[in-house]
Amino acid sequence: MLFWILVAILTAAVAVVLLLPLLRANARAEAPRSHDVEVYRDQLDELTRDEKAGLISGEDAEFARAEVARRLIAANDAVKASTGQVSSMRANRLAQLCVIILLPLLGLCLYLTTGSPDTPDAPLSARLANPDADPNILIAQAEQKLAQNPEDGAGWDVLAPIYYRTGRIEDAAVAFDRAVRLLGPTPARLGGYAESLIALSGGLVTTEAQTALQKSLILEPNDPRAEFYLALALKQEGKKDLALAAFDQLVARSPQDAPWLPLVNDHIASLKGEPTTTDSGTADTQAVEAAPGNPTSDDIAAAATMADGDRRAMIEGMVDSLSAKLAAEPANFEGWMRLVRSYAVLDQKDKAADALKQGLAAFPADSEQGKQLLALADELDLKPSGETP
Amino acid sequence: MIIELGHYALVLALATSLLQSVLPIVGAFRGDRSLMQVGTTAAMATFGLVAVSFAVLTYAHLTSDFSVKNVWENSHSLIPLIYKYSGVWGNHEGSMLLWLLILAFFSALVASFGSNLPETLKANVLAVQAWIASAFTLFLLLTSNPFARLVPAPGEGQDLNPVLQDIGLAIHPPLLYLGYVGFSVCFSFAIAALIEGRIDAAWARWVRPWTLAAWTCLTAGISMGSYWAYYELGWGGWWFWDPVENASFMPWLAGTALLHSALVMEKREALKIWTVLLAIMTFSLSLLGTFLVRSGVLTSVHAFATDPTRGVFILAILVFFIGGALSLFAFRATRLKAGGIFAPISREGALVFNNLILTTATATVLTGTLYPLVLEALTGSKISVGPPFFNMTFGLLMLPLLLAVPFGPLLAWKRGDLLGAGQRLFAAVGVGLLIGGIIYYVQHGGPIMAMFGLALGVYVICGSLTDLALRSGLGKVSGAIAFRRFKGLPRSAFGTALAHMGLGVTMIGIVGVTAFETEHVVEMKPGMTTQAGGYTVRFDGMRQGNGPNFTEESGHFTVTRDGVEVTEMWSSKRMYTARRMPTTEAGIRSFGSNQLYVSLGDAMADGGVVVRIWWKPFILCIWGGTLFMIAGGMVSLTDRRLRVGAPSRAKKQKKLVLEPAE
Repeated sequence: MLFWILVAILTAAVAVVLLLPLLRANARAEAPRSHDVEVYRDQLDELTRDEKAGLISGEDAEFARAEVARRLIAANDAVKASTGQVSSMRANRLAQLCVIILLPLLGLCLYLTTGSPDTPDAPLSARLANPDADPNILIAQAEQKLAQNPEDGAGWDVLAPIYYRTGRIEDAAVAFDRAVRLLGPTPARLGGYAESLIALSGGLVTTEAQTALQKSLILEPNDPRAEFYLALALKQEGKKDLALAAFDQLVARSPQDAPWLPLVNDHIASLKGEPTTTDSGTADTQAVEAAPGNPTSDDIAAAATMADGDRRAMIEGMVDSLSAKLAAEPANFEGWMRLVRSYAVLDQKDKAADALKQGLAAFPADSEQGKQLLALADELDLKPSGETP
Repeated sequence: MIIELGHYALVLALATSLLQSVLPIVGAFRGDRSLMQVGTTAAMATFGLVAVSFAVLTYAHLTSDFSVKNVWENSHSLIPLIYKYSGVWGNHEGSMLLWLLILAFFSALVASFGSNLPETLKANVLAVQAWIASAFTLFLLLTSNPFARLVPAPGEGQDLNPVLQDIGLAIHPPLLYLGYVGFSVCFSFAIAALIEGRIDAAWARWVRPWTLAAWTCLTAGISMGSYWAYYELGWGGWWFWDPVENASFMPWLAGTALLHSALVMEKREALKIWTVLLAIMTFSLSLLGTFLVRSGVLTSVHAFATDPTRGVFILAILVFFIGGALSLFAFRATRLKAGGIFAPISREGALVFNNLILTTATATVLTGTLYPLVLEALTGSKISVGPPFFNMTFGLLMLPLLLAVPFGPLLAWKRGDLLGAGQRLFAAVGVGLLIGGIIYYVQHGGPIMAMFGLALGVYVICGSLTDLALRSGLGKVSGAIAFRRFKGLPRSAFGTALAHMGLGVTMIGIVGVTAFETEHVVEMKPGMTTQAGGYTVRFDGMRQGNGPNFTEESGHFTVTRDGVEVTEMWSSKRMYTARRMPTTEAGIRSFGSNQLYVSLGDAMADGGVVVRIWWKPFILCIWGGTLFMIAGGMVSLTDRRLRVGAPSRAKKQKKLVLEPAE
């Protein structure tokens, strides 16, 4: 309320300032050229002074004086000829109305569209005085402590899932990794680390993520989250039968009302070639959002904090860097498999076919790896451009 | 609530500007005094409102209020207090708000000190100023609102760009903007004159001090920016012909031309149309600079965040103001009466020569800056127009200008005596050649062209002093009288001499450092020494350190000459934690006008570190010269002639001021 009172006072004050000249009695405007006369007189004075001081010669001064005098006479005549106008009351009224109506109208309309009147100030000192009410301050304080003492594993352990939930995936991956290294592996840390990596690569279960998940399974053999992602990895690698078996096993072990069952069933359906409830193109990215072992709504919120365009741009950037790396060192079979799959996921068939061709150049079609590449191409419905297997 | 009040003040400033855009001009058209006076009060009100909103943004930065997006993006709770202040304009939104604040400040100056201006001229000028202010306020509110909020507020900011965490940020942008925006007043005067279809005699008297003030600030701003880049970037260079530098240099060149043509116009009422055009061009180039830097067309430390909508918006502003102004010029310029006539060899002629060269130089820089951009936009191919192009074309253009500089003030108005002026400059030419020769002999090894360059610089300095000496009659009259005359010379004469001398000093610096600079890139281990400029530099070792928001590695160097320790210096590399960005802090020591510049490179596996050591003779002359120019501008500004032009009021003052002066 106080805010709106101040807004009203400010608006009124400005309106008064603008209205003041309009309320004064009307004066006759001065003749337009009276200023010129003054300037020329001053120039004549200056000439006299310069001449006295010896700055210009007498002859030059005479010439100049004649020139200025001619202008002075012309200006004088103009002043006599002109008559000042008197302002009309009607124009004034209109102007007053303009000020009184337009000023608050424009101000309020613009402010209400661009401003956020209900958002209070949040100076840092006030927030620090009462940190419990403000999770962001708690995070910032924890970060400051960690910056001073980066070996504090417990700190990273606390921060990592918070980062993940607030959409700071990259920080989350770093934090999970540090927690694992400083405090030792647990299924939660390893799973979180793998999940961050998967989110970072746009739904692809990378080799690094698989390694972490396998370690997690050793610690806790029946962790549904790890099983799910490993099954997904099989599917993404084109090992249909193995993936199907892994998903089936996951269904068998899950309780009837497990929240991840619909998603798992979708994958099973798509592997069997049946129509699915979700669009297969986005199934991989959705996997991250509804994966088992996670409170799904939080993750969806986390993924949503990143705009679709941003995420795609980030993924494309990573894929491009992979492609560049492979161009420099083509003897990397895993890399080619990932690149081909990534382009297919991004729906860039031409590039995928291109990558396949380059991959086959490094690993000939009759080699074991070449056959795997071709099997992947078959599954993704790709044809190696300009080459027959 | 305070933040939102600042936001509302900005919105209200827009509403006020819009009223100020219309009412005074209607008043001027109808001869209605009260409507015209609305311009005066509205200009004051706008300034007050923008100042409030700027103060609020500053408050948000000081209190680290991360609920303001701008603060979150560009501040950190741990940065030193001074960077919390300067960080206000160390980002796109804040710097545009500063732009607006300075614009409103200039309008308020015209409003409060313009009581001796013709009423209609003042009303029109204030209205045009309000058009510019409205456009930029709208730009701020719609595309780059500094008061955008974040809910919930983040706990920590993303830190100010480390390169900007320097005292330079506190000085360079405000000065540069004072220059850029100062030319808006000249622009408004030009547009006002075109609207009225008439140029008062007071016009030139008014335009000149504004040009002078803007030019002085711009000179200081560019010079400061150049020195900042020199010591902060760690490359040892002081001017890179970078498009962003050119963007500030073009208004400076055009402004310098304007300064000189306004002089002709004031004294002789000649070159009226040309002066109006120059005033329009100068501010247009300022706007172009703002567009190039702010739109994201160029990537540089100045670009901050890039956002295409901003570019389009500024482009629209650019097209409206430049296109509008030039069309108005095309329609109305013929109505302006041409003034006095003059012979080719005369003071006017010399100033026209100056204008020709300066505008050609501006066009050259403009071409070199825009051509790669246009080519890339049209064909997609990238080319870079680098220093060789600019050094060649610009250097050649400056040569005749520098030769002519001392002649200008020696020539008489209307018709002058070139031969006579040449004879009077004999001493200057002689001294120039002599000193150039001596320097060449002492610093032998440099190219022969360097000698001519240095001689030219000395000649310009001596030529400027010649003018003062001749005017006070040194040699012709007794010493006492000459001294009295010297004291009685108009301030503008001193201003001219100082600024021209500054040009010579800068010239000496540029030629000297280009010709005689030495550079060593060596890998050094603790205890190793290397030679630079007659000094021996010993590397003593590295040290780790911590700042408030960075960690640094500093190398310690001891400088000796003939075995005697002269000084010690630190050169460091910093890593800013929040942005994970490195910066270099070069070690610099001055010896007279020469400098020793040590910059750290990468550390080697075997414990050594790559060190770049420059010996830069005369380098301080470059910025020393600009100090002379700035001083010249300020001295000229205090000249009493620039304060005249009022009916009634000034008369009384004049009586008081003039008598004792005779």
